[in-house]
Amino acid sequence: MVFIVIVIICFLLQMIAPWWVIIVVAFATCGIIGKTGKIAFWHSFFAICLLWIGYSLFKSLPNDNLLASRVAVMTGVKLWWALLLVTGILSGLVAGISGYCGYQFRMAMLAKKTDDKIA
Amino acid sequence: MNKLKAIFCIIIPISLAFLFNTKIGSAPPVLKFLNPFMGFWQNAENNHFMFNHKVKIKGTIDQVEIVFDDKMIPHIFAQNDHDLYLAQGYVTAMHRLWQMDFQTRFAAGRISEVVVSEPARESDRYQRRMGMVYGAENSLKGMMADPKSKEMILAYTEGINAYIKTLSHSNYPLEYKILDFKPENWTPLKCALLLKQMSAILAMGSDEFYMTNILKKFGPEITKNLFPDYPFKEDPIIPVGTKWNFTQLPIPKTPESFTASQTGDVRTKEKVEGIGSNNWALSGSKTASGYPILANDPHLELSLPSIWYQIQLHAPGINTYGVSLPGAPGIIIGFNQRIAWGVTNVAADVLDFYQIKFKDSSHNEYWYNNKWNKTTKRLEVIKIRGSKDLIDTVYYTHQGPVVYLQKSNFAKANSVPVGDALRWIAHDRSNELMTFYYLNRGKNYNDYRKALTYYTAPAQNFVFASVDNDIAITPNGKFPLKWKNQGKFILDGTDPAYDWHGWIPASQNPTVKNPPRGFVSSANQSSTDQSYPYYLNWEFSPYERGKRINDRLTAMNKATLDSIRLMQTDNYSILAENLIPAVLPLLNPEKLNATQKEALSYVTKWNKRYDADEIAASIFEIWTKRLAFDIWDDEFTVKGVPMRYPSRDRTVEMILKEPAAKWYDNVNTSQKETLSDLVNESFRYSCDSLERRFGPINKDWRWSNVKQSNVPHLAKIPGFGSKVLQVGGAKSTINALSETNGPSWRMVIELGKNPKGHGVYPGGQSGNPGSKFYDNMLDTWASGHLYDLFYMQTPDDQSGKVISRLKISK
Repeated sequence: MVFIVIVIICFLLQMIAPWWVIIVVAFATCGIIGKTGKIAFWHSFFAICLLWIGYSLFKSLPNDNLLASRVAVMTGVKLWWALLLVTGILSGLVAGISGYCGYQFRMAMLAKKTDDKIA
Repeated sequence: MNKLKAIFCIIIPISLAFLFNTKIGSAPPVLKFLNPFMGFWQNAENNHFMFNHKVKIKGTIDQVEIVFDDKMIPHIFAQNDHDLYLAQGYVTAMHRLWQMDFQTRFAAGRISEVVVSEPARESDRYQRRMGMVYGAENSLKGMMADPKSKEMILAYTEGINAYIKTLSHSNYPLEYKILDFKPENWTPLKCALLLKQMSAILAMGSDEFYMTNILKKFGPEITKNLFPDYPFKEDPIIPVGTKWNFTQLPIPKTPESFTASQTGDVRTKEKVEGIGSNNWALSGSKTASGYPILANDPHLELSLPSIWYQIQLHAPGINTYGVSLPGAPGIIIGFNQRIAWGVTNVAADVLDFYQIKFKDSSHNEYWYNNKWNKTTKRLEVIKIRGSKDLIDTVYYTHQGPVVYLQKSNFAKANSVPVGDALRWIAHDRSNELMTFYYLNRGKNYNDYRKALTYYTAPAQNFVFASVDNDIAITPNGKFPLKWKNQGKFILDGTDPAYDWHGWIPASQNPTVKNPPRGFVSSANQSSTDQSYPYYLNWEFSPYERGKRINDRLTAMNKATLDSIRLMQTDNYSILAENLIPAVLPLLNPEKLNATQKEALSYVTKWNKRYDADEIAASIFEIWTKRLAFDIWDDEFTVKGVPMRYPSRDRTVEMILKEPAAKWYDNVNTSQKETLSDLVNESFRYSCDSLERRFGPINKDWRWSNVKQSNVPHLAKIPGFGSKVLQVGGAKSTINALSETNGPSWRMVIELGKNPKGHGVYPGGQSGNPGSKFYDNMLDTWASGHLYDLFYMQTPDDQSGKVISRLKISK
């Protein structure tokens, strides 16, 4: 569920919003519907990793990866598909960590509320 | 505890956002850059589908149709001049926005606004202190004074800005994303800056500081002997013996005190050989078609995106095709239905330094004409990305800016009591655009002559051919009227006799029309023989390219496109022809080792061509460079006193005619060296250095491998330049292609009832490294071939392949 929600919302929002909406969306989604920390991290990770890789391929394949190859040389990773992996893994990690933080944030708030009640 | 956890859960994502959205060092903001929705992946252009587009631009008067051919070259069809230049601005920005922006920022000394580094700051200071913006402002006044050029420049600016307006972050050109800045609106001043930058590239080199040091060290006699006022071997642009049919102006008197005074530490870049060019035109009497053929290949420091931008401009009264400079309206080198024209650089001395005597360290007054005169101040504010502005005060005398300043924040300046003022033609009000306005619309020889009168700088050899079978060439520009050798050394800034004394009238610039030999040509060599009454300069580019061109054209009859095309890529070395018979006999084979002996046999059998596969060319090149070093370096390299070597021409003259010259002796050794010693040492040095790099003689010794020609990216971004090209050519051959300097555009025009154009540049139309049109012409260029240029008569002309169309309306 988390996976699908993040993919759809991020895909739509990223048409107009800067890249860091993936952080906001992963955080919020996991903060609201994240069931466990593991799910929050991995669903966010794969959602963004695959979305970014998919969309990069959508732009890069009709270009015969010409640009990706040049940028790969510029960045030092040499091969265009390595650059693609970097794109996916790095964005996925950032989303995963954000999702995990979102989930933990909710846990902390819930715990706080319970603490308050007990007190 | 939970509160703390909650805060951490918020801080971590926010820091991640911040971390990956910030430019760190020279690396772009990582995820902003990698984001496929807005980052670099968006610049990957679809290679397989092209679409037609329509745009509305408020300022247009009528419909404009732009046709893109299969090399993405735009052919603009407009109903009036305004729309024509607006559309030129629009499409040029579409393909080259970052290049235009970056080049003009560079020219204006504004690189520090986007790149933070010490070299960027130094470059900005230098550009400001040389008066680049000051010159551009003056030039702009000239352009705005003429209604035609004003319309051109305003419409062009409008077009560029209309394009910038359509952009959002996702479709900014790639380099903006890498360097992380935004396009800014274009202004007319930027057009002027771009043209000034061409002047800076072609006419800012200056040797007078070196020459003054040489004069001080060696005295006038030796200086005159080693740095003569006319070359030993020459084949001038205007054929020897051409009569000057004008009444000449009186030449200003050489002041009696003409000895260079002491000087401050002024240094401009040394003139670099290779920034030169070839052009020629053959009259119909020498061609197969009976109509003239014109050829041009301007040599520049090559870069990607390409220096030039091909375009066809069609509107009532104009239908012209050729190359433009991204950032300036009109066509610089090209042709139309009736005429063709091209340019090469004239090394006229239009830049002089004056020794200034200031009253005190405030620099408010300077001594001139026996009294104290006020300087003016110009504050240059250099904005620096992420830190506070740097303010530089530049003092101006009536001559121009005092380039080297005494300001406390320049440590170097403390030891320098006096600065030098720069008098440079590019600081003057001018309007070069009108020259191209009239050439683009020119119909005959008279139009050509009229167009040239508008031109100031950088001075160019304008070659011309028309369908009426007229050919002509004119070393043209605004030339100061000088006494002989004025500006060979640093000038005295206190005496009015050292000022420039008016101008050579444009009509008296050297020119020749339809010479009996049936062709005209130039390759940056001396403009005239010694009979021309005015002083242009004491030294021009070496004569070898010009000589080879003239030899070839003299022998040529029934010339065709192919004979001219092959000539443009001719690698034959006149230098080798002159030198080899003199130095080869001096080699002592007994003292050579096995590799050196083998190398000698290569050189002996060499056809004197710098072809890609020639091993002898590599040996000869390093050998002669080293020989010049061996001869001159002991005397001319002195720490703290920058000097230059005598010219190649003088060196060759000495080797051929003065076997006992004292300069062969190395003053740093006790024994006495002879020419023969140096020839042997330098030959062994050449072979040894090649052997160290590549092992015993093998195919790695080939010239193209030693030379490593390539076309780098404008901002030297790795991966965005070309691969190493396996091509021949050298500085002293017609195909003057060195490591990164060479023919930036090769063009051949066959005039006739319908003109046929052929051309290529090392790159492509698009400035986007993510486009297949970024470097698609490179291999054709490297192989020495040309494309047929598609000279369209109507937007529906079927003679070429069209891949997309763009319609502009209001």
